[in-house]
Amino acid sequence: MAVLSKKNRSFSPDKLTSNRALFWIAAVFAIVMIAPALWVLGLSFKDNTLLMRGSEAVFSAPYTLKNYTDLFHSSLVFRWFLNSMVVAVGQTVGVLTLSSLAGYAFARLEFPFRKTIFVIVLFGLAVPEQAVIIARHQMFSWLNMHNSYLGLMLPGMSSAFGVFLMTQFFRAIPKEIDEAALLDNTPRFRIFWKVLLPLTMPAQATLGIFTFLLAWNDYWWPLISATKKDMYTLTIGIASSQRNFAQTEGLGFLAAQAVFASLPVIIVYIFFQRNIVTAVSGGAVK
Amino acid sequence: MAESYRRSRWSNALFILPYMTVFLSLLVFPLFWGMWLSLNKSDLFGGARFIGLKNYYRVFSDPVFGQAVWNTVIFVLVSVPTLVALGLFLSLALNKTTRASSLLRGLFFSSTVLSVTIVTLIWRFVFIPGDGLLALLFDKMGWEQIGFLSTEGWSLFSVGVATVWWCLGLPMMLFLAALQQIPSDLYEAAALDNASRWRVLTRITLPSIKSTIVLVAIVQIVMQFQLFGQAQLMTNGGPAGSSRPIVLYIFDTSFIRWDVGMGTAASEVLFLIILLAAMVQYWVTSRKGEA
Amino acid sequence: MSATIDINSVTKAYGALTVLDDISLSIEAGEFVVFLGPSGCGKSTLLRMIAGLESVDKGTIHIGGERIDTLPPGKRGVAMVFQTYALYPHMTVAQNMAFGLENLKVDKAEIDSRVQSAAETLEMAHLLDRRPTKLSGGQRQRVAIGRAIVKEPKAFLFDEPLSNLDAALRSRTRLELAQLHQRLGSTMIFVTHDQVEAMTLAHRIVVMHDKKIEQIGTPMEIYQRPATRFVAEFVGSPAMSMMPITGIVSAQSSDQKGATLEVEGAGMVATQVPLPASFALDGATMGVRSEDTHVVQPGADGLNLTVTVVERLGERTLLYGKLDTGFEMIVEDSGRSTVRAGETVKFDFDRSALHVFDGTGRAYHMAEEA
Repeated sequence: MAVLSKKNRSFSPDKLTSNRALFWIAAVFAIVMIAPALWVLGLSFKDNTLLMRGSEAVFSAPYTLKNYTDLFHSSLVFRWFLNSMVVAVGQTVGVLTLSSLAGYAFARLEFPFRKTIFVIVLFGLAVPEQAVIIARHQMFSWLNMHNSYLGLMLPGMSSAFGVFLMTQFFRAIPKEIDEAALLDNTPRFRIFWKVLLPLTMPAQATLGIFTFLLAWNDYWWPLISATKKDMYTLTIGIASSQRNFAQTEGLGFLAAQAVFASLPVIIVYIFFQRNIVTAVSGGAVK
Repeated sequence: MAESYRRSRWSNALFILPYMTVFLSLLVFPLFWGMWLSLNKSDLFGGARFIGLKNYYRVFSDPVFGQAVWNTVIFVLVSVPTLVALGLFLSLALNKTTRASSLLRGLFFSSTVLSVTIVTLIWRFVFIPGDGLLALLFDKMGWEQIGFLSTEGWSLFSVGVATVWWCLGLPMMLFLAALQQIPSDLYEAAALDNASRWRVLTRITLPSIKSTIVLVAIVQIVMQFQLFGQAQLMTNGGPAGSSRPIVLYIFDTSFIRWDVGMGTAASEVLFLIILLAAMVQYWVTSRKGEA
Repeated sequence: MSATIDINSVTKAYGALTVLDDISLSIEAGEFVVFLGPSGCGKSTLLRMIAGLESVDKGTIHIGGERIDTLPPGKRGVAMVFQTYALYPHMTVAQNMAFGLENLKVDKAEIDSRVQSAAETLEMAHLLDRRPTKLSGGQRQRVAIGRAIVKEPKAFLFDEPLSNLDAALRSRTRLELAQLHQRLGSTMIFVTHDQVEAMTLAHRIVVMHDKKIEQIGTPMEIYQRPATRFVAEFVGSPAMSMMPITGIVSAQSSDQKGATLEVEGAGMVATQVPLPASFALDGATMGVRSEDTHVVQPGADGLNLTVTVVERLGERTLLYGKLDTGFEMIVEDSGRSTVRAGETVKFDFDRSALHVFDGTGRAYHMAEEA
């Protein structure tokens, strides 16, 4: 039998749907896309005094780590980083707990007004933050909860997105699994805890990462709730440095702050890209 | 009546109690409290006096608000089509299983995970006069420098560039997800029918993801109407309010000028606009389910 | 361990839709009973009501003399094998089997020994540390059965457990189930829509149709003396051919054995089926199974069949065709048949193997031999 020639290669849908030229345009566009980030990365490795003379110094040596070492001595950046960690992790744990419990109930249990309540919760998805943020600010003032970790974490836990996502995941688990557990004489909470919850681990990862990013990046609420400098989250801290852009300690130092602040999310993104894309597109398309 | 494991019980509602507590106290209550505040003359910490719709009257007769609405509408009208078109283009270009495509997809989506402060910081480093990346480029080309953030007409545009850079990943990913839903035998049938690439694109690919295109556009309208951080951090609405969006107006009114009544009134107006878009979105999604 | 199961006037409705209407049934201890019927007939619902997964609207269910329809599923002493097996995906095979016993606070050593012995019975001791996702369909099926065995239940409930297996594995598993039942001697209820499974496994078959029980009987009774036209048509492959009865010539034929009928397409037929005077003629039919027909020589007495399709099954050949009156009929010929589609053949049928159904679907058969 003759060797298959190139022309005889089997059909692939790629051939009709993609185009080499399109790909290369996208590749060039990617360079434009990444250039600003590389620019900032470059600035962060330059000595401030050199930059004062002109920022084109970026394109030639010498480079230095001084801006990064300065981060740890001369500023509140490390404290802000810690605040952000506490708030983001706390909010994530809270969202996972609340959403798992509620998602299980909405997907599997019967109780009065279940459907009505679920619809109301879904309506919550349509409420934008600015419609509630002023009233929330007042409430937290009454309760004296501004400038506290709990005060920074709590509002994010009211989002209906997690409940919606977990409900979908619980619904996707075959009912027969619950029924087998019932026939195995398993009490209700044990079914939730021992049988179903372990099966939602992929969903927990997706929702957890998504919530962490959202909390880490949140701007509006910490901006008005954290008014004391040592209670700033990293996002707000960087914003406050940025606001004094002109009289800042130096472009290089500011750039190092930006790089440092984005490191956690970049790391999370590199490791969990798939989960993030799932969560983000799942939220938009339903 | 015999017992069933699916029987409806109040005790089952205990599972939703923790979430419902947070939901009611931190979302539902503030929502209605905000509506009430918009009908009162009050400040952030003190008493209130019912004044009916007067706050709304004040908001609508404030030229600054009118300017903010205008800015926002212009911003949405330009940024949303740009995001949809670029996202669609990228998804078509990168809908392949090769390693290079997957790398580029990851790259285009990566900016989405950054916080607004980082995004604006990055773009300020690009836009600042003198030392910015663009300033360097313009010098090299021998062009006159532009004050991207401080010139009327340019400032909102610059905010838009940063926004598109930040938000581009989501439309692309949504389109990619839709493209992958198209059954490959459709393309095989088209190949047997001798269809050209262009006809495949216009007669098979685009019609198949039509509802996703509409959906992405609405999601982006809802998101871009809420433009805030980029404008606040890059231009703070300036110069002369030419880049101030509605949310920044709400923020300034409520938390800089402490006029809570007017701030909440403006936020209810925005809420109404967004609710309308969300309803259209719901309508489109449920129709997509039928189709 | 085995127990009787008594189902008494059980009714089930979802809102206005009744799915089971006044079902009564007694199952003996150690009996293997198959619920057979088309999809939607309520057979699975009845099984799930015994398991406690569906509530009982009216009526009672007793297992071993104890009323259980008010108990939660876990307290009824039954074990169920699901169509999809419903193994816990995150637990190993051994953990899957142990889980129910742990819930019952059974002693650890006892659990281990039961799991071990079930694993040996089912020849899967080497799989105990694997997770279900690492098992083949047949192996999962065994684990599901093993999970039921370790509970030492009063009754086993099987909900179409073979339908997810491929054909070869299905017939092997069928045999193994029969052997398992012989060894354990437990009461077993098996739901299926597959008549071969029902015929081969059951002591008694419960044929269900449209919310009701059509017939309860041994496989031979169901096949040879179907109680209704529905049972006659549902059981047996190919389906029984039905010919309309247009008139009764005499209720008792000359040899005193049965009625002589006027049958469309077949003319006068002397049957061995005695009919009562009250027989409802309107819509009545005469049924013939293909194995009771045979092709005859061209010159001999018989009916003409214009063959449209020939199905060669090896040991026999099925001829699908039409009578002169246009009526459809399936006739059996030998495995060496040379008949081809388009030809016309003559056939006859065995007068002693006829079934008669009145207008309401009720069946009449030749008198049983004393």
